[in-house]
Amino acid sequence: MKATNSLDHLIESLRCLPGVGPKSAQRIAYYLLQRDRDGAAALAAALMQSLETLRHCQRCNTLTEADICERCLSPQRDASLLCVVESPVDMNMMEQTLAYSGLYYVLMGRLSPLDGVGPRELSLERVLARASDGVVKELILATNFTNEGEATAHYLSEGARARGLSVTRIARGVPVGGELEYVDPGTLAQAVRERRSLA
Amino acid sequence: MLRHRVDAQAAYVLHTYPFRETSLIVEVFSRDWGRVSLMARGARRPRSALRGLLMAFQPLELGWSGKGEVQTLTKAEWLGGQPLLSGKALFCGYYLNELLLNLLPREDAHERLFSVYAQTLRRFADGLHEADLRRFECALLSELGYGLTLAHDVEGAGISAEASYAYEIERGPVRLAAPGDSPLCVSGRTLIDLAHDDFTDPRSLAEAKPLMRALITHYTGGKGLETRKIFMELQELS
Repeated sequence: MKATNSLDHLIESLRCLPGVGPKSAQRIAYYLLQRDRDGAAALAAALMQSLETLRHCQRCNTLTEADICERCLSPQRDASLLCVVESPVDMNMMEQTLAYSGLYYVLMGRLSPLDGVGPRELSLERVLARASDGVVKELILATNFTNEGEATAHYLSEGARARGLSVTRIARGVPVGGELEYVDPGTLAQAVRERRSLA
Repeated sequence: MLRHRVDAQAAYVLHTYPFRETSLIVEVFSRDWGRVSLMARGARRPRSALRGLLMAFQPLELGWSGKGEVQTLTKAEWLGGQPLLSGKALFCGYYLNELLLNLLPREDAHERLFSVYAQTLRRFADGLHEADLRRFECALLSELGYGLTLAHDVEGAGISAEASYAYEIERGPVRLAAPGDSPLCVSGRTLIDLAHDDFTDPRSLAEAKPLMRALITHYTGGKGLETRKIFMELQELS
């Protein structure tokens, strides 16, 4: 067998990045090799190191270096609240709100029946097991308001109810500072349908 | 292939796939053009006007142009009138979409099926009834030319409500001397009710389910449907 050319191999490997096609992969490879060899070495080392040290937190499923991440171990966090989000980006967004001090579970995906992503592929059983530890009093479903996010939330709420856990879903509606004139009609329609009593 | 330009077409999104960095391929079921694949350029950009609009189960008005198998989406407007599906109804909505994606050929207009689909989604929003699923399945099969023979048995004799039949796919009902136990064995009453789209009799409704399932499995080439698998897992929970 002919030994593979390292350059071709590098270009082929770069294509695993999202949005990088053959052209961009070639450009990146030449850039790293000609202009920024130190950067390339640092990138290679960082990749190797993360692959070795990062794993999923046993409690919240996000990426961490320890078995259990800092957030899950923090005594400042309210362990009676567990918020389920789709991705680490969603968790960071929730953190920025400063409105929530409980713990998280990061699904790393969502149910998508037409793509063959079911409860088993997402290990939704683990979320329910995590929420049944006896300490969690409320499971907050903060999956996206897309059909897939709603399907995920429905599945989890059914599972939680079967286990006697209390479940809530984050609210949706007109954004803060939103004016009805400029809000999109789909959001407004759903806000009217899900209006709440003020009595 | 002809280059079309479609301006304002009532349509539903069946499914979307990410394409390149910021675009989407949208599988659409439209009223006058049937199933089409459209490319929505830039639809995944954070500030795209299409973000949150190209959602399944919502009535939309779409425009597109181009030629070939994947055309370019040029316009999308929200029509409204359909509450978002939730709970079990949402999973049933996915089931309808999976059936359409599996069975509906591209660019083949099915106006009647389109209106049955829209009506079924509206009913789902009011509460889930099995009869709506059966009605949709019947409409889908008959629109595709796989309609059931319900007026007479394979011998050409009329269907008797009290008799038992074994439904032979692509032939029709064969009268049996005694009730059989295969999913394709049904009573004459069920066949008559199916012919009239009448699912008020609980027995007919119960018998229609395995029959429709066997037919759909046959026409989808024997492969199991993903949505059905997930629905079963959901049922196991509660």
